[in-house]
Amino acid sequence: MSSVAGPAQRATRSFAGVDQLMVWILIFTTIGFLDAAYLTYVHYYGLGALLCLGAHSGHSSCVTVQSSPWAKIDGVPVALLGLIGYVGLFVSYFVTARLNGELGRAMGFCIALIGFGFSAYLTYRELFSIHAICEWCVGSAVCMTFLVVLTAIRFLRGEPVTN
Amino acid sequence: MASRKEQKEQARAARLAQEQDAASKAQRTRRFQMFGGATVIAVIVIVVAVVLSSSGGGGPKGAHPGLETGTKEHQLVSSVDTLLNKIPQSGNMLGSSTAKVTMQYFGDLECPYCQAFTLDVFPSFVQQEVRTGNVKVEYRSMCTATCDGKMTHAAEDAVFNSQQIAAYAAGKQNKFWQYAELFYHQQKTEGTGYPTDGFLTGIAKQIPGLNVQTWQTDRKDPSLADEVTADLAYSTQANLPGTPSLIMAGPKGTELVNNGDLVTSESQLTTAVKAVS
Repeated sequence: MSSVAGPAQRATRSFAGVDQLMVWILIFTTIGFLDAAYLTYVHYYGLGALLCLGAHSGHSSCVTVQSSPWAKIDGVPVALLGLIGYVGLFVSYFVTARLNGELGRAMGFCIALIGFGFSAYLTYRELFSIHAICEWCVGSAVCMTFLVVLTAIRFLRGEPVTN
Repeated sequence: MASRKEQKEQARAARLAQEQDAASKAQRTRRFQMFGGATVIAVIVIVVAVVLSSSGGGGPKGAHPGLETGTKEHQLVSSVDTLLNKIPQSGNMLGSSTAKVTMQYFGDLECPYCQAFTLDVFPSFVQQEVRTGNVKVEYRSMCTATCDGKMTHAAEDAVFNSQQIAAYAAGKQNKFWQYAELFYHQQKTEGTGYPTDGFLTGIAKQIPGLNVQTWQTDRKDPSLADEVTADLAYSTQANLPGTPSLIMAGPKGTELVNNGDLVTSESQLTTAVKAVS
C-alpha cells in the first residue's frame, strides 16, 4: 500500500490538524486587510467617517492621527500601504500553495516583518509625537504582530507535517 | 549471521539514511539563509520607510512637523514680533483701547483668504492705522474653511473650536495676535483636520514669552469656548458672507468693508476708516 497521500487526503489532513497555523494566519490577514481597507476608504472619502472611540483635545483621536504628517509617506497614505501589504500576504499564500512553498513562506514572513516594523514605528509616533491613539491603526499593528510570529514559525517549520 | 543479501540491503538503507540526512541538513541551512535574507530585506525596507516618513514629517526633535524650524522659524517669529512690537494687546484686541475706530475681523484660522489678507494687506494697515492709535482690531471667529464639508459636522466643530480656542487662550496672555499671525503663516490645506494638538502646541511654543503651561490650562477655560460660540452666533445672525468679513465701526457709524469680496489693498480699509471716523 502506498504511503503517499492523494491530493484530497492531503487537503483533509491540512484542514483537520496540520495547518491550524495557516488558519490563524488567514484569520489575522483577513482582519488586517479589512481594517486597512476601512482606513484607506475613510482617507479618500472623508475622515469624518472614522468610527473612533478615543477623543483628543475635543476631537476624534483617529482624525488627529490620520491627519498627522506621519499618516503619509511621500504623499501616499500609510493606510493604502498597509492595504497593499495585506494583499501581498494573500499573494504569498497563493505562491506557497501553487508555485513555490519555500519562496511563498519567505515572502509572507518578509512582508509581515515589514508591516510589523513599520507599525511599531507608527505606534511610537502616536504615543510620543502625535499624543493620540487611533484604534484602527492599533488593530492593524496587533494583526501584524501576530502575523510576524506565525509566519516566522511557518517558514522555519517548512512543509506542514502530514499524518 | 546475516546473509550477503541482507548485508547489502542494510548498507543500502544506511546510505539512503545518510543521503536523506544530508539533504535535510542542506534544506535546513538553505531555509535559515532565506530567513536571514528575508529579515535583511525587511529591515532595509523598514529603515527606508521610517526615514521617508520622518523626513516627510520634517523638523528637528521636539518641533511639530509642518511648522517652520531653524532659520526659517527664527525669521518668521522675528517678522511677527516686529509687526506687533509695542502695540497694546488685550485678549483678541490689537491696538489702543482709546482708538476711535474699531475693526472687527471675522476669521477662520484655516481660511486661505484670511491668510492672504493677513499676510498681504493687514501688516501695512497695522503700521498706518493701528500702531498710530487710530484703529483697534478685534478678532472674532466664523467657521468657513474648517466647515467646508470634508468632515462630519461634529468633527468640523471640534477642530474649529480647538484651533480658535488655542488662539484665544494665547490672548489671555495678550499674545492672541502672535498666535493668529503664526498660524496664518504656517497654514495648511483647509478642512483636513491638520490643526492637531501637536500643531497647536507647536505654534504656542514658537511665541516668545508665552507660558505654554498656562496656555494649556487656559485652553480648558469654558469662557473661551463660550466666546467662540457667541462669535459664531453673531456671524450667523448678521448673515456675514464669508471670511474675512471686516466691519469698521466709529463715531459716524458702522460699515461692512467687504461684502464677501477679498480685500486686496490697504486703501479699501483706510477709506472705510475715514467714512466712520
